[in-house]
Amino acid sequence: MKLLVIEDDKTTGDYIAQGLREEGHAVDLVPDGRAGLIQATTCAYDVAIIDRMLPGLDGLSLIKTLRGAKNNLPVLFLTSMGGVDDRIDGLTAGGDDYLVKPFAFGELSARVAALARRPQIKEEAIVLKAGSLSLDLIRRRAVRDDVEIDLLPREFALLEHLMRRKGRGQTRTMLLEAIWDISFDPQTNVVETHVSRLRAKIDKPFATELIKTVRGAGYRIED
Amino acid sequence: MVAPMKWLWRSTPMRMALALVVLFTCVSLLSLGGAFYVIRTSIEETIRTSLTQDLAGFRAAPTAGALATLVAAEAEAIDPATRILSYRSRDGRHFGNGLIVQSQNGFEVVTPGNNPSPVGGEFLALSAVIHGGRLTLATNLQQTWDLRETFRNILLMSLLPTGTITLLSGMVIARRSGRRIEALEGTLDKLTSGDLSARTPEMPGRLDDLSNIAARVDRMAQAQQTSVSVLKQVSADIAHDLKTPIQRVAVLLNRLRETGGLSAQAAQIVAQAGAETDGIVTTFQALLQIAQIEGGSPKSRFAPVDLGRLGADFVEVYGPAAEDSDHRLSFTAPPGPAVVSGDKGLLGQVFANLIENALRHTPPDSAIEVRVEPVDDTVRLSVRDTGPGIPEAERANVLRRLYRLEQSRSTQGSGLGLSLVRVVAQLHDARLELGDGIVPEKPADQKGLRVSLTFPAL
Repeated sequence: MKLLVIEDDKTTGDYIAQGLREEGHAVDLVPDGRAGLIQATTCAYDVAIIDRMLPGLDGLSLIKTLRGAKNNLPVLFLTSMGGVDDRIDGLTAGGDDYLVKPFAFGELSARVAALARRPQIKEEAIVLKAGSLSLDLIRRRAVRDDVEIDLLPREFALLEHLMRRKGRGQTRTMLLEAIWDISFDPQTNVVETHVSRLRAKIDKPFATELIKTVRGAGYRIED
Repeated sequence: MVAPMKWLWRSTPMRMALALVVLFTCVSLLSLGGAFYVIRTSIEETIRTSLTQDLAGFRAAPTAGALATLVAAEAEAIDPATRILSYRSRDGRHFGNGLIVQSQNGFEVVTPGNNPSPVGGEFLALSAVIHGGRLTLATNLQQTWDLRETFRNILLMSLLPTGTITLLSGMVIARRSGRRIEALEGTLDKLTSGDLSARTPEMPGRLDDLSNIAARVDRMAQAQQTSVSVLKQVSADIAHDLKTPIQRVAVLLNRLRETGGLSAQAAQIVAQAGAETDGIVTTFQALLQIAQIEGGSPKSRFAPVDLGRLGADFVEVYGPAAEDSDHRLSFTAPPGPAVVSGDKGLLGQVFANLIENALRHTPPDSAIEVRVEPVDDTVRLSVRDTGPGIPEAERANVLRRLYRLEQSRSTQGSGLGLSLVRVVAQLHDARLELGDGIVPEKPADQKGLRVSLTFPAL
């Protein structure tokens, strides 16, 4: 993918750019808002990662200008604030996602991937499959190796979310937002406990493990 | 029509107009009443004098027979309705055009003859014994009745137009200033609910005290908005300037970890340093959030929130975590919705903080009970546990930022959980109370903790 990073702090910018390059992306790093806006409008990028506080032109104005010009480049905001207000300001200005500093690289990478690739599995899909596991969305049934598995509604939602994004890592915070509508950081490992309950039902009794732990950040379902 | 009437009654000009009408009425009643009294007394005095003179005239008659003839002759020409002459001689014979008899209603004037019929009206009578018989002279007080009528007319003619004009002009002024006051009130409401960009609308009309107040409200709002935006800018700057280096530290620690070749001990130290930076971030984030809410988080995002459903969601979120740490987490809610007006995100955080607090500060096998219940006109959210509780003297302290009980120094946590609950409660006009929780049978010194927030119901 071709990515644009607009970040004025050199250490953070280099870290993001280097990490993303190691994952095989082409990355342009711009340290200034005005230059970033020109870059974003002149080249075609898959995703832009924009800091909210920038010299020249701040992140909010940049994204508003971009959206004003009918440019719908997916944008991930980086911010130092992270209050509910700031989050909503960022999203209403036209940002697609929002990440509070400091963040782990795994979180950033997972979110960039989620922004770039819209879910591959169409919304209309009735049955989702991963390895020997199939999830019937109409009859709300999970079956693995011809064994029906009893799932609680939230467990079903969690599994459906992961299966729709098969092969892509989902971080704890992404899952909290998507499944439980929680946008703050709980101090208890609530996601881990739910995933472990789900694993006990769909993985433990079977030979292979479908839910993989992604180093440093979250979970992923694989065939 | 009830609402506008209420509004009219509450407006100052209308009240002043009403007060004026009442005052004017009182003054008119007093002065007219006084005049009426004086005139009536004087009329009655005149009548009495004339009756006395007449009596004296009749007294001049030489004999009873002559008097009787005189009375009968004079009475002939007089209408009993205006004036009565009556003489009852010693032997009981009656002469004149009317009789005064006693009835159950007092004295009554009746016509003489075999079929006496009552004569209406109020009479002033004088009577004297002359030549052994009783002579009574009476004059109808019709005049004073006419006078009363006249005064009533004067009163009505002066009061009605004055009252109507005063009330009407009061209404007009009330309506005109009412619109402007309404506009002012609307602006003030918006300002108090957090919309600092609200200003009073352009008001037609002269420059007066109302437009002065409006201008001052605008100036105050402007000053407030400026200081809040300065505050926001400052906290944004601080956040940026502190978080960027924290981010760098996190990045550098990560690089160190990825360099490889670290001894097990060094790797452990790096991991510890990483955990510490996470802790700094958490505390920092919480402080920032508390400051933001205290600094006037806008209520514009408030929407109806069903606390019952929200509580159920959070108990479900923490269910497995509570199970893993051997806590018995339960939830009770009313069958119907328990709706309050609020910020769903912040209210969710209240549930999360209270449940996490209970999980952190109570030993395994403790019970934690989350409850949402309607109480009168309020909705109460409470979390009770069977843990060690908080001594009464310390309860106010734990709501303070970064304050931690001696006994809980060793446990995790930033000491900001309850502070956040406090500011969220404040933002929602909810009453926050700390009390005893579920008292276990043993050990006896454990009182448990109960934290409750009482919200005004929607």
